[in-house]
Amino acid sequence: MSSRKPVTDSPRAGRPEGKARTRAPFLFLAPAILIVFAVLIFPIIFSLFVSTWDWPLSEGAGIRRFVGLGNYTALTRDPEFWNSLKLQLGFIFIAIPIELLFGFSAALLLNREFFGSRIVRSLLLLPVFFLPILSGMTWRFMLQPRYGPLNALLISLGAPEITWLGNPSTAYAAIIIQDIWRMWPFMFMLLYAGLTAIPQELMEAAEIDGAGYWRRLGSVTIPLMIPTILTAILLRIIDALRVFSEVYVMTEGGPGSATMLFSLYTQRQAFGYQKVGMASAMAIFLLIVSIVFALTLVRRNMSLDVLEEKAGG
Amino acid sequence: MARKSKARKIALNILIAVVAFAILAVELYPIAITVVNGFRRDIHILSGQPFKFSQLTLRSYELVLKNAGFRLGMKNSIIIGLLSTGISVLVGAMASYGIARFRFRGRNGLAYSFLVFRMLPQISLVISLYLMFSAAGIRDTIGGITLAHTSFNVPYVIWLLLPFFTAVDRAYEEAAMVDGCSRPGVFFRIFLPIVAPGLVVAAVFAFLNSWNEFMYALILTGVKAKTAPIAINGLLGGETLTWGQACAAGTLMLVPVFIFTLGMQKFLIRGITAGGVKG
Repeated sequence: MSSRKPVTDSPRAGRPEGKARTRAPFLFLAPAILIVFAVLIFPIIFSLFVSTWDWPLSEGAGIRRFVGLGNYTALTRDPEFWNSLKLQLGFIFIAIPIELLFGFSAALLLNREFFGSRIVRSLLLLPVFFLPILSGMTWRFMLQPRYGPLNALLISLGAPEITWLGNPSTAYAAIIIQDIWRMWPFMFMLLYAGLTAIPQELMEAAEIDGAGYWRRLGSVTIPLMIPTILTAILLRIIDALRVFSEVYVMTEGGPGSATMLFSLYTQRQAFGYQKVGMASAMAIFLLIVSIVFALTLVRRNMSLDVLEEKAGG
Repeated sequence: MARKSKARKIALNILIAVVAFAILAVELYPIAITVVNGFRRDIHILSGQPFKFSQLTLRSYELVLKNAGFRLGMKNSIIIGLLSTGISVLVGAMASYGIARFRFRGRNGLAYSFLVFRMLPQISLVISLYLMFSAAGIRDTIGGITLAHTSFNVPYVIWLLLPFFTAVDRAYEEAAMVDGCSRPGVFFRIFLPIVAPGLVVAAVFAFLNSWNEFMYALILTGVKAKTAPIAINGLLGGETLTWGQACAAGTLMLVPVFIFTLGMQKFLIRGITAGGVKG
């Protein structure tokens, strides 16, 4: 088939398209570029601009004043900023490894046919699609002191009652538990897909060579799964950097600032303290971190050429 | 020997099934309790006994469906979801076609930047959007929040559609062009009908993105254009605890989500990772 070559424009050269031909891709892309410019590129440039100003949210809160990098240096002296950064990093470093462990174990366990295996595998994904605000809401309910199901369970097991969301360390644990509950099935989903893609012959060959289950896991499965695991971790980090609504609904960053993750503190700066300049500096900081991770993911995992080869092959 | 190992295999399978269903039960309990609480009276919810599901009632549904704030939120969510989905699928499909079918300078850079744009944190954009929308007078309008939702949906749709688009043999389009059909004509009349299944998948996920969205709605809307998630958050905010209503409202929001996700099993990974994840 001659048309299977990865050529993208019409191969029928010599058609009298002339200029129209070079303009054609632009015509198709123009609306998207326009929207991206309006709601992504311009806001980012504007954020950069605002981040160099002392910019009160409302007129009554003071006057705008150019401060250069003042907001950025002020951030380094702001204990609340460091606190939110610490909480954010802790959230990522605690939640994601546990999600990975649960997801990978479940993927190994469920990577076989048993009674009801398909149902289990598909229903397990429901939490991933549960609305984040509902996840926050239901965990807020689960953790209520007197009538919350989790406390009821703990008390029936003889444990003392815990005011989960009223206590700084347990509230922080609670938002992490919520995230693990919702997102480990996401890890499961990606890792399970990766496991099923491992060629069966490899496993059989290892079995014939006398390798037991754990040996095969260690020397065949895990090495082959490393790329998928890295991809899953990157996707989760990018997602965890933006976490907001679940935590907002659960605790609004409290008690005190015990669960004030980065996005929540940025929102508080802008719309609570009315310091839009400071908040923009935080926004730019988070943006840069996110772009680094996003670019890493894109370079590792996404390829136009691969898409086209798949289509052509 | 062979029989023994077969018996062992069956026993192992039963054991795994039991463990798997136990995990599933624990995992789905928080969702189940939300749905069930929507049918319980607040007085029973507040009395504890989370495993007692008697005396169910539709009262919370009645109340929440009469609640003007929630009704407005629901109406807005549907309108904003449909509008932003329509715009994103149209604009995204055009862009995706541009990337899939033409070679031009900056093609790779453009395609990958759409991908990166999809992953930016909303908090990094929402402050500027707030200032811009205030200046333009479109804060707390359906148009404003719809535009904000296109910021994640357009890049999302572009990459979700690319694998569908590159899979189409270009012979169809070439034949049409030989017959004298123009490029836009080819795109709208020949190409789009071929990729209709992809467009449906993109539309469903774009709608869900908008339906689930919270932060933009929280910051960029007020009383007029607020969406259903904001209304639900409002039900939780008051001093009087109305878990029943909040759960009923939440369950109503869940209906389309679960119908779509269970109906689109095949496309879930594609939908969540949108963009040719290798391997």
